[in-house]
Amino acid sequence: MRRVFVTGIGIISPLGGTLSLNHTALKSGICGITTLELINSNFAGKLPVGEIKIETEVLKEKLKIKRLGLTRNSLLSLHAFADAVDDSQLTVNEITSFDTALIGANTVSGMCLTDELYKDANSKSNGSEYLFSYDGGSVTLAIQEHYGMKGIINTINTACSSSANSIMYGARLIQNGLAKRAIVGGSDSLAKYTINGFNSLYILSDKICRPFDSERKGLNLAEGAAFLVLESEETIGNKKVYAELTGYCNANDAFHPSSLSENADGPFLAMQGALQKANLQPHQIDFINAHGTATENNDEAESKAILRLFNKPPIFASTKSNTGHTLGASGAIEAVYSILNLTHQEVYQSLHYQTPIASTGLVPVKNYTKTPINHVLSNSFGFGGNCSSLIFSKA
Amino acid sequence: MSLFYIHQTVCISPQKTCETIDLDDVQLSKDNKLQAIEPNYDAIPPALFRRMGKAVRLASGAALPLLNTLSFNGIIIGTANGGLEDCIKFLNQIVDYNEGKLTPTNFVQSTTNAVASQLAFFSSNKGYNNTHVHRGLAFENAVLDAAMLLNEFPEHTYLLGGVDEISAYQYNIESLAGSYKTELVLNTDLYNSKTTGSIAGEGCAMFAVNKQKDGATAVLKAIGALHSDNQEEIIQYLTSFITKNGGSANIDLFLSGENGDSRYLPYYKACQNVLPNIPLKRFKHLCGEYATASSFALWLACKEIQHSTLKTILIYNNFRGKQHSFMLVECVK
Repeated sequence: MRRVFVTGIGIISPLGGTLSLNHTALKSGICGITTLELINSNFAGKLPVGEIKIETEVLKEKLKIKRLGLTRNSLLSLHAFADAVDDSQLTVNEITSFDTALIGANTVSGMCLTDELYKDANSKSNGSEYLFSYDGGSVTLAIQEHYGMKGIINTINTACSSSANSIMYGARLIQNGLAKRAIVGGSDSLAKYTINGFNSLYILSDKICRPFDSERKGLNLAEGAAFLVLESEETIGNKKVYAELTGYCNANDAFHPSSLSENADGPFLAMQGALQKANLQPHQIDFINAHGTATENNDEAESKAILRLFNKPPIFASTKSNTGHTLGASGAIEAVYSILNLTHQEVYQSLHYQTPIASTGLVPVKNYTKTPINHVLSNSFGFGGNCSSLIFSKA
Repeated sequence: MSLFYIHQTVCISPQKTCETIDLDDVQLSKDNKLQAIEPNYDAIPPALFRRMGKAVRLASGAALPLLNTLSFNGIIIGTANGGLEDCIKFLNQIVDYNEGKLTPTNFVQSTTNAVASQLAFFSSNKGYNNTHVHRGLAFENAVLDAAMLLNEFPEHTYLLGGVDEISAYQYNIESLAGSYKTELVLNTDLYNSKTTGSIAGEGCAMFAVNKQKDGATAVLKAIGALHSDNQEEIIQYLTSFITKNGGSANIDLFLSGENGDSRYLPYYKACQNVLPNIPLKRFKHLCGEYATASSFALWLACKEIQHSTLKTILIYNNFRGKQHSFMLVECVK
């Protein structure tokens, strides 16, 4: 199997619109979770969310793309994609080559446009400009069409693990010889739809989220996008290389549509499979970027799975304490943060944590620390039992 | 290299494809819609059944016979929209009740991965589980995923499926977008129509796929897909696809996704012209137009190969003239 390397990164999150802004914020322990402002909703002015404080129209102007039907979700994707290909110094020929794949992921698709969709779906309009922007594929197709990409193009939706799976799919295309490079990632924007959906399940916290704390009250929704340029070892040449993707695994918990099982089989199998793929022993993992949503169910189940797999659990943290939960984008955003752990040989503190969960006693990283990091495990678990883990290693 | 062998298949479609198979007795469209003939769902517990949206129901009905008889290493689904009906039901609640106290059932069922995860719950399948949603190439990407997995794990067997539903809401959105004919056209007259738009369809096709030749129904030899609206580019792609996969001499049926929409007919004609002396068969009058209709075509190709002397079938489909795919299906030699 060919080795797969990361040669470019693009990211926009509540911590900022560039890689360096995200890095600085993580290092300084900045929390990007604020009160909802930009969505016309009863929750505005009240609910804590990880919101990118740039109006959709401004995002559009900044990107200088004049197409109809671009949703906030697509714009976030386009922003991160542009930075990733720039960072990897890909030429137009490389981007449009049959050998370059594009794998996107999202869960909200164009449903961020609640009011337009309501009118279009219920025949209360003559048709908005967004008729072709409501499905998940539309977000990736906005990139494909803008750049005229010709290689394998795909969109994945496995709920909150979506972009971990897009990274995995892209890597497998390279390893199976179906692409030389794959630009992989995902996005999601805040939406009235998901806010009300997660609220109806009683898993939104009305305070800033506290991953792995015994008093955690639920998650904070967030928005963002990240793309990585993955390249086969044969094509990288003398390029700057951030990290190697050495392990990955997708498994299903097969238990419940919206919560993880007591034994956390899905998370356990995903982490175990990723270790096997990377040909690593548990003790070789230096750090875990946990899924850590701060829901009652996730953090306890994830902790149990970690205790099952690791004799002595490695240090771990949840960057959702900085960003909130970016849903379909979180796998890619946290892949970027895992790569920052590797390239800077450091770990960032998990914020808002005080007391361990009684049944597991696990304590996340409490301070910014310089430490040798060779292998980082990044977890993404979603509704429908969809669990995926990735391992990035020092290149 | 062959991608994989197709063993058991189940298809729920607007035609008699499920409990008794009879494609000669063509079921007619109503109001420009071809709705799936649903089987009896006795195997699904009633409490669960009540909560299922149509896409999950169709997929469960098609997958259960396979899940009950075979063991799978994972489940791979292509669906452009999943449970869009549940999605809009929840959206309507948000608007109609002004973000008040809402019931989460529709929300949970609306996630596109609800299909693949429901099948995992049914069968306690903790293996690979993925949902491809890339519009008109959602099923093709699921096929590619299965092919890669079987290259990585040649001893495995996967459940591969494509599903999409017609819902009132989806029909409204697509109608506003001009996807369906505004005049009434029967599916049996679909290819005589000179206007834009097609007729709406839905369905689910499930396949048990692996690398074992013994007992297989058909073999998927190759798949190719392209995003383009440029005819020349598509022809070039098709020509090289055929050359790479044994040439046109072996192909004895061109199974075309022609859908009665005058805007996309030129693409089908152009591809047909690449294979001038090869018999043509079309399938959209049977299943209607939907983003994962190519899964119906693959099922149909398997049946053709099983019940005729045909040896090699080339399926060509395009979605809205922008997403094109080719699948080469062969008999097991």
